Amino acid sequence: MKVYGFLKDVGGAGRVTARRQSLFQSASAEPQTRDPINELARALHPGPLALTVTDVRDVSPTARKLRFAPKQGRLPVFQCGQYLSLELKIGQTVTTRPYSICSAPYQARQEDGFVEITVRNGKSDGFAANWLYANTKAGDEFTASLPFGQFYYEPLRDSRHIVGLAGGSGITPFYSMAQEIAAGKLDAELTILYGSVTSADVILKNELEAVACDKVHYVNVISGEKDYPGEKGFLTREVISKYAGPDSTFFVCGPLPMYKLIARELAALNVPPRRIRMEVFGAPKDVSAAEGYPKDKLGEHYTITVVRGIREDEIPARASEPVAVALERAGIPIPTRCRSGACGYCHSRLLSGEIFVPADGDGRRRADRELGFFHACSSYPLSDLRIKIPIL
Amino acid sequence: MGFYKEKYDAIVVGGALSGMACAMTLASKGKDVLLLERHNLPGGIATSFVRGGMEIEATLHEMMSIGPEDQPLKIRAFFDEMGVKIHWLRVPEAYHMSVPSEKIEITLHAGFETMAREIDAQYPGTHDKVLKLMELCQSVYSSVNVLSVHPMSKPAMLLRHPEFVKTCGYSAKEVLDTFGLPKEVCDILSAYWIYVAAPLSNLPFTVYAVLMADYFGGGSYVCRDFSYEMAARMAVRCEELGVQIEYLQEADKILVEDGHVRGVRTKRGDEIRADFVACSAYPNRCYTSMIEPASAVPAAAIRSVNARRLSVTCFSVAMLLDRSPDELGIRDYSYFNSFTDMDTDKHWENLKTLGPYHYVTTICLNRANPDCTPPGMTSLSITTLPLPDGYLQVTEDEYLRLKRSIARDMIEQMSVYFGVRLLDHIVEIEIETPVTVAHYTGAWNGGIYGYRHSMDDHIVARLQMSEQENYIPGLAFCGAHAISGNGMSPAITNGRKAAKTLLDEMAKEAAQA
Repeated sequence: MKVYGFLKDVGGAGRVTARRQSLFQSASAEPQTRDPINELARALHPGPLALTVTDVRDVSPTARKLRFAPKQGRLPVFQCGQYLSLELKIGQTVTTRPYSICSAPYQARQEDGFVEITVRNGKSDGFAANWLYANTKAGDEFTASLPFGQFYYEPLRDSRHIVGLAGGSGITPFYSMAQEIAAGKLDAELTILYGSVTSADVILKNELEAVACDKVHYVNVISGEKDYPGEKGFLTREVISKYAGPDSTFFVCGPLPMYKLIARELAALNVPPRRIRMEVFGAPKDVSAAEGYPKDKLGEHYTITVVRGIREDEIPARASEPVAVALERAGIPIPTRCRSGACGYCHSRLLSGEIFVPADGDGRRRADRELGFFHACSSYPLSDLRIKIPIL
Repeated sequence: MGFYKEKYDAIVVGGALSGMACAMTLASKGKDVLLLERHNLPGGIATSFVRGGMEIEATLHEMMSIGPEDQPLKIRAFFDEMGVKIHWLRVPEAYHMSVPSEKIEITLHAGFETMAREIDAQYPGTHDKVLKLMELCQSVYSSVNVLSVHPMSKPAMLLRHPEFVKTCGYSAKEVLDTFGLPKEVCDILSAYWIYVAAPLSNLPFTVYAVLMADYFGGGSYVCRDFSYEMAARMAVRCEELGVQIEYLQEADKILVEDGHVRGVRTKRGDEIRADFVACSAYPNRCYTSMIEPASAVPAAAIRSVNARRLSVTCFSVAMLLDRSPDELGIRDYSYFNSFTDMDTDKHWENLKTLGPYHYVTTICLNRANPDCTPPGMTSLSITTLPLPDGYLQVTEDEYLRLKRSIARDMIEQMSVYFGVRLLDHIVEIEIETPVTVAHYTGAWNGGIYGYRHSMDDHIVARLQMSEQENYIPGLAFCGAHAISGNGMSPAITNGRKAAKTLLDEMAKEAAQA
């Protein structure tokens, strides 16, 4: 048997080197810059885009739909349920807000493509939404990034029978989905159960009724009107089981308290966890209501030392507000997108001090938690802090 | 006040494992180092993501060159030396391989004797030959470890490293064929080919030997807190050693004056001085669009990148399933499945397409890291490593449909194999594609493995030509595209080598001045 019989050959190293050298010498000296995969990545995630407001429309007594078109080029592909991150300058505060896109993906890609969001006025925690509602007019210019978020129909995972459980302005992603399905661009069926206190609170009512069809069903569930002719009450197991077929996937989007109620109702209906998708929805109104929050700290004021590169700044902070908000108040920009602790764009490092992170908003990785990395948008100071944040 | 010092001893472009290994090594020698990372996290593709409150490994299958605590191989030793404490978990077996067309269905464990016995149990009479092959691999591996640190003369090399010298002109297939093993056994011993991504006919035996000796000798490892643990701990240690790390800062230009590196300009517009730069961007990008002025790039540098061929990128389906591995009938940690035969030349051609892919790797992370999911769940990923070729014409409007259709095919193939409909159990799913890699890292054409291993671009030739390839004084490269090639462990080695190149240059220039 000839086990490595050729091993008398000792010239291999020289040969392979000569081979490589000759290849190098015969290659072209013309720079080749084509990188189509990065080009595609940039087309899908183009970064901040300059947008112009092209239409402002009332979609309820208290809500407005804002339409944006790109100043140049095309809008990127997105999926129903994803959000855009809108840059805002309100007074001295530079901030961002995530808004679910309520227009359909096909509308972004058509000629004269656009995206729409809906903002509601009058909520005590809706600082940015109230401002947008009151001030936005056609012709205004904004910068926004998109698309972001995981709140979309994933055909490899979800049932094509989708039940949208919406509350308040949480209806917006379902309007996107409804339009895409009605236009035949998304192969799924959607039943929207939209919980509101009164019929005057219902946003996008006419718009949703206009897209209802054999694949899009739309039901309002009103809790605060005795004489309401349709479904009355909350989004309970009774109303859910009345409209949901077997093996549906439930998409839930609304104010924080609604999630706990719906989780309980869906559990009672034996819906498996993999059939429930919950959208993240901002920082809690009152962090002291979060489990584990040391209530005695709530009124405290602290100082945060902010390290950016070799520069250090000291800023005031309140125990009741996320670190990101303290930074923005002080005029220090911090990169944010979801503002719910999930996306991690505001990933920063805690060098010293103590923070509180509500469980609902804790999107940190295990190693982050152990090593003191944190998400500034969902972390509250419990002492003076020293933090390192990205330079913007 | 600005955010940067006037000048640093060195700037490292890119905070993946390689860049951090480089920065750490430089800082440990007392150098003042700035590291710029375009993403908001350290680690590059050594990362994880959180879905529904659960963390999911993004990329790592297994680390080589770790070895047991009492017999550390070089990467564990490097981390120990640098004071980076990682929770290493040993992967229980080497791999399970399945090639139904050849009736191959076998699980191998680390340890030369162990694996030789496991093969012999199914293919009697092969034990001694397999062991002999592994001993040859071990000998070449030991030589490579010595020679990559201590260059020596040819006669000395021949005297002390004869097996390395004599095999180095041959491909893995050529050497394997001389052992007279049955085809099935050769195929079983080829399973790892995808971790160096070259068909055996064109894979230098030297590379094959390193791969086999390292994995079957030292075993393979993962981190307790996902590959991101490595990234985060390295980043923290870098900062402890005095490295200034800035995230979301992309180096746009590398500034060259009088034929020497003099600094970096970021996308944000900061111009930062340093006479030495370690660059993690592919040389293709660096030489064609980063060096300023472009005239500072010698023609030979452009020729070198045009001469070389990119290796593979990645297509991976990461899933959390709502059953435990036992309930799903997934017994092993790592599966190599060939749905056709084990002709790696044909597999290689298949990797140039958009699928369906014929050779996939499946990792059940729970088998090495039982706490990686909540109880009753499974973390499963199915991966293939395609070449960029198939993806070059894809448009953004077809992208989502395409990635789902490729992913669905991979999931269905593995469902048939496991005998369980995986689609019925998905709680979370993310599909990573070449475009995902490009989006998060900017890697040239989404490459994760740097340049192809081949007989034309042989690791030994790379080593011999390494000095002449320092085309611009003050510039070194770290990443999978540097000398040692792909994989997280080799990337770390590449970062250390880049640091050494720069330290040597610094010393030389200081002596001249």
